[in-house]
Amino acid sequence: MDKVKQKDLILYSGLIILGLAAPFLFPGFKVQLTILCVLIVLAMTWNLQGGEMGYNTFGNILFYGLGMYLTASVQVGMFFPLAEWTESGGEKTFVHTTSQYFQGMGVGLLVAALVPTIIAGAIGYAILGLRGHYFAICTLGLGIAAGEIAGGIEIIGAGQGFTTPPFPKDIVDPGARGDFFYFLSFVLLIGTFVFIKWIYGSRFKLILNAIRDNEDKAEAMGIQTMKYKIVGWMVSAFFAGLAGGIMGGLIGYIDSTDVAFDGREMGVFMVLMAILGGKGTLWGPVIGAALFHFLKEGFWTLILGWQYVALGVLIVVIVIYFPEGLMGWLREKYPERFGEVIDEKDRKAQVELK
Amino acid sequence: MNKLTKLFITFISAITLMLSSMSSSFAKVDGEYIVLGAAISLTGKYSSNGVHTQNGYNLAVDRINKMGGVEVQGKKYKFEIIYYDDESNPKRAAQLAERLINQDGVKYMLGPYSSGLTKAIAPVTEKYKIPMVEANGASRSLFTKGYKYLFAVLSPANQYLEVAIDLAVEKNGGKPVRIAQAFEQDAFSQDVRLGILDAAKRTGSEIIIDDKLPKELNDMAATLAKVKATKPDVLVVSGHTKGALTAIRQIAEMKVDVPMLAMTHCDAAKLSKQHGKKSEYALCASQWHKNLSYKDKFFGTGKKYDKDFKKEFGYAPPYQSAESSAALLVFKDAFERANSFDGDKVRDALKTTEMQTFYGNIKFGPGGQNTAKPMILFQVRCKGDTCENKVVAPTKWASDKFYHPIPKWSERS
Repeated sequence: MDKVKQKDLILYSGLIILGLAAPFLFPGFKVQLTILCVLIVLAMTWNLQGGEMGYNTFGNILFYGLGMYLTASVQVGMFFPLAEWTESGGEKTFVHTTSQYFQGMGVGLLVAALVPTIIAGAIGYAILGLRGHYFAICTLGLGIAAGEIAGGIEIIGAGQGFTTPPFPKDIVDPGARGDFFYFLSFVLLIGTFVFIKWIYGSRFKLILNAIRDNEDKAEAMGIQTMKYKIVGWMVSAFFAGLAGGIMGGLIGYIDSTDVAFDGREMGVFMVLMAILGGKGTLWGPVIGAALFHFLKEGFWTLILGWQYVALGVLIVVIVIYFPEGLMGWLREKYPERFGEVIDEKDRKAQVELK
Repeated sequence: MNKLTKLFITFISAITLMLSSMSSSFAKVDGEYIVLGAAISLTGKYSSNGVHTQNGYNLAVDRINKMGGVEVQGKKYKFEIIYYDDESNPKRAAQLAERLINQDGVKYMLGPYSSGLTKAIAPVTEKYKIPMVEANGASRSLFTKGYKYLFAVLSPANQYLEVAIDLAVEKNGGKPVRIAQAFEQDAFSQDVRLGILDAAKRTGSEIIIDDKLPKELNDMAATLAKVKATKPDVLVVSGHTKGALTAIRQIAEMKVDVPMLAMTHCDAAKLSKQHGKKSEYALCASQWHKNLSYKDKFFGTGKKYDKDFKKEFGYAPPYQSAESSAALLVFKDAFERANSFDGDKVRDALKTTEMQTFYGNIKFGPGGQNTAKPMILFQVRCKGDTCENKVVAPTKWASDKFYHPIPKWSERS
């Protein structure tokens, strides 16, 4: 038992050091690394529903988009009239001071975490009664509807899009913006990972699994499944909202359907990454997201114009050869290393009972 | 240390080595090449216009390189462009701009296609102080943000169809008109809308239908049904290539009679070829037309550009290609006047650009927009089964008279 822990400790501290050093080792890749962190967060939170709970949601993009719009709106709205900012597209040039920028960002991210969580609770209450395909289709509609609605709201720029506040001019170093967003997303990644790892060690995860494996039986055992489903979705919404807020600031321009409620890309990617790595595992989404991002950035440019064909082939290959994802494949191949760890004492106790 | 940990460490260090050797393998000036970066929509909803843009860039690069290249400090340089596919997605475009600048070491950028994508890239180029000459981002809001490194060779979007409203009022005997309009939900089309709103206010005209079209534009029957019922004097539609094609198709299908139809992107959509006689009388805003009398020493006149482009790519150049070619002429001129590769010196030279190209006169206003070139309007006219775009406004270049009103469908053969 102790040996396992020590191994984990080496692994985690190694990864954290790597994460902290990454922007200095590869200064040119800061933006890609930032996006990688956000992708991992999205894949991990999707995995809570799709992997652990067995509810394939396409709706998590809703929280991501909401977080993006909320952060930017709060950041602007705290100091300047929001309507004028978006309507004029900056015609009256408003400039955030350094402290205003960071204060706005902080409060914005707070709102971006809380509001989607509440909305997830409300929507979850309404639609988590649906199961299987019905739930998937319903959540697919959520993202699309949100995009169309946001595209019609003038105060957040409607179809014109929303330019988020530029990074303060007083900070002269051109690398500072990249560092800021990288470390912000890295902190979010660590937060998300620690929280989800904690969930993995808790009864909560077992209940989610019970829901996935047989919801009716779980209910018959006296578990209030609805409550757990809603809470699970709220956890995802919390982190997805934060991820969206960070991405909005990083990209600098929010478009209703192409950037924020981007179900066609981000919405599908988060599912794909979790499946690629192996859904229903802690490390699966992390590995899946890293591999996916690496492939996307590495090979996309080599096959200019054909990248989506390649992506299609990749999906087919994953589904045929790695139906359980990479982690699932590893588990099958090396069960002693990657398989489910059964507590030795527990096993003995069960044997004795017999 | 067990086997797996070793493997893990090996893997990480391999990636580290690979990435660090990849960084900045290009430089701003690589041997005899001046390297420009561009994110272009080769896939996604803007892919057709993205390709027009890329063809325009490539034609100009070839031409300039063949005719001696760019002379800086007595040495001849050639242009080279690094392309990425932005997938018609602003998020991707912003990311690629970072990549071009940080990883590929690009110091000068060419613009993407569409206002939305330019809006996403401009903050990045501005942050790194990279001069960008763009040819396809017309949204007015691009030029009001105080960007210092952004230069657009085209006229702002709000000017696209303003003239059409003036023309409608003129045809109506100087009296205000009733306008029906439908615009796609994107940065460019919404700016065209703002232009119409201004023109309506100025002329006292009334807007009776003001519809928004979705981005995945395949149907506008609802708007057209309203047009049929309310009979406006002029119908304005803007939604890039897809919008123009959808509008013409459905107007013909539903036999909507409207005295005047004003649109954007007719030539990119190859309307006169795709829909033939159905598209006749459509009035289109354009940045450029081959019959205009501008010229330069690289491409000659617009007509010659048209011929060369057809020879190279097999289709007539839409204005998106022409303006993209012009962007490179602007860069060449700026490099030579700056006589330096210093970003700020090139930027200062760009700021004082004053030149004529086959595409039009180019002089940048304080916001970076081209102030020296007016928009033109053409009308699709058919003779027998062959349809052509004829310039009808402004009068200086008009080859044909503006035909008004559009005959009713029942009277059209």
